Amino acid sequence: MTTSTFSLFFALLSLAAVAGTVGAVVVLAAARRRGSWMPMREDLRRVALPVAWVVAVVTTLGSLYMSEIAHFVPCALCWYQRIAMYPLALLLGIATFRRDTAIRVYVIAQCAVGGAIALYHASIQAFPPESGTAFCTTEAPCTTRYVWELGFISLPFMALSAFVFIATLMVAVGPSRAVALEPTSAPRTTGARA
Amino acid sequence: MSNSPKPRPSSSAKVRNAQAAASGGSRIWWVAGAGALVIIALLVIAIVATRSSNDAATSTAGQLAFGTVTVTGENLPEQPADANGQPIGADPAIGKTAPTVTGQRFDGSAITIPSSGKPKVVMLVAHWCPHCQKEVPLIAAELNSKGLPTDVDLFTVATGTSDQRPNYPPAAWLASEKWPVQTLVDDQDSTAAQAYGLSGYPTFVVIDANGKVVDRQSGEKSIDQFNAMLQEARTGTKTAA
Repeated sequence: MTTSTFSLFFALLSLAAVAGTVGAVVVLAAARRRGSWMPMREDLRRVALPVAWVVAVVTTLGSLYMSEIAHFVPCALCWYQRIAMYPLALLLGIATFRRDTAIRVYVIAQCAVGGAIALYHASIQAFPPESGTAFCTTEAPCTTRYVWELGFISLPFMALSAFVFIATLMVAVGPSRAVALEPTSAPRTTGARA
Repeated sequence: MSNSPKPRPSSSAKVRNAQAAASGGSRIWWVAGAGALVIIALLVIAIVATRSSNDAATSTAGQLAFGTVTVTGENLPEQPADANGQPIGADPAIGKTAPTVTGQRFDGSAITIPSSGKPKVVMLVAHWCPHCQKEVPLIAAELNSKGLPTDVDLFTVATGTSDQRPNYPPAAWLASEKWPVQTLVDDQDSTAAQAYGLSGYPTFVVIDANGKVVDRQSGEKSIDQFNAMLQEARTGTKTAA
């Protein structure tokens, strides 16, 4: 398979990530209003951590493919996004096996930083500023579209979709705010303590 | 710790919870399977959708990435530039006689970029250079719509080639851009590029009918700037900034 095949494949995966984000938001919102959505909300909570890990691993491997095999030179903005994404491939893996949902706070913070940089990077690739940017160099230009699939999907767009999807899944990992269908523990009390 | 004793779930509630857990577990496997199928389907779509372009790339297989280059005459001096690649002072190549460069096209046939004769513009490009990747389709669209100029010869030198860099090989890249200009393939030592005193990608060398360098410019150029260089070659007078 060639670089163009992989570029399109990763672009389609990023669209799948966008679709997954929309689907997860719909489930989270609906479960807060209707109890009938609670089983789906529970399923989402259970798969969120491993799915987020898979997304981080695939994104990391895709990024490495683009630089090490396709030889697209990463610019400064690419590196900042890599700094935010690469550790997630390891940390989310550990959290998945330890079932450590407390990691979600740290992951959401990291995704917020990486996503903000990816959003800026995607915007200047979609609409390159006339005057250039402070991050561009001749050797590693940040506005050059090494990948431009379906008329709008660039490499930073792919990163942005991954950051947003992972952050949304981390929200889903958290405890449900709706009333559980079947009580399995005692209701919390505010009375006297032992 | 709460003082309230934990209520023990009834046996029917235990059964319902167990059933819910079991059905939830099976649902998750269905979700995982569907996810895997979606990924495989996306991969198949990508392979099928890019098959035609990959065929086009392989059709240029066997074409040269490097040629043999012979230079007759003196190499042009490099244009001094600052750390950002901006030229410093007057170009020392202006007014000097351009060398004659002989080499090969991508298909191995011979090609010569003569010093004198017709006015000419020589464009030096690298397949991995983002500025070249923007410039080539721009000029290709202009030349393919209006035709090649009859009074000015155009030449391309494919140089700086590396299979470790993006958009390799240059033959496939230029073919995919429907590049209409005859191309000389530089050697691994970039002999042709050195002959024209290359200092950045892309570089345009404007040469008049007497073989004298009229102008030399680097970086992305608009179509107006490109046409101005053609006019410089015709008149033998530098006009563009």
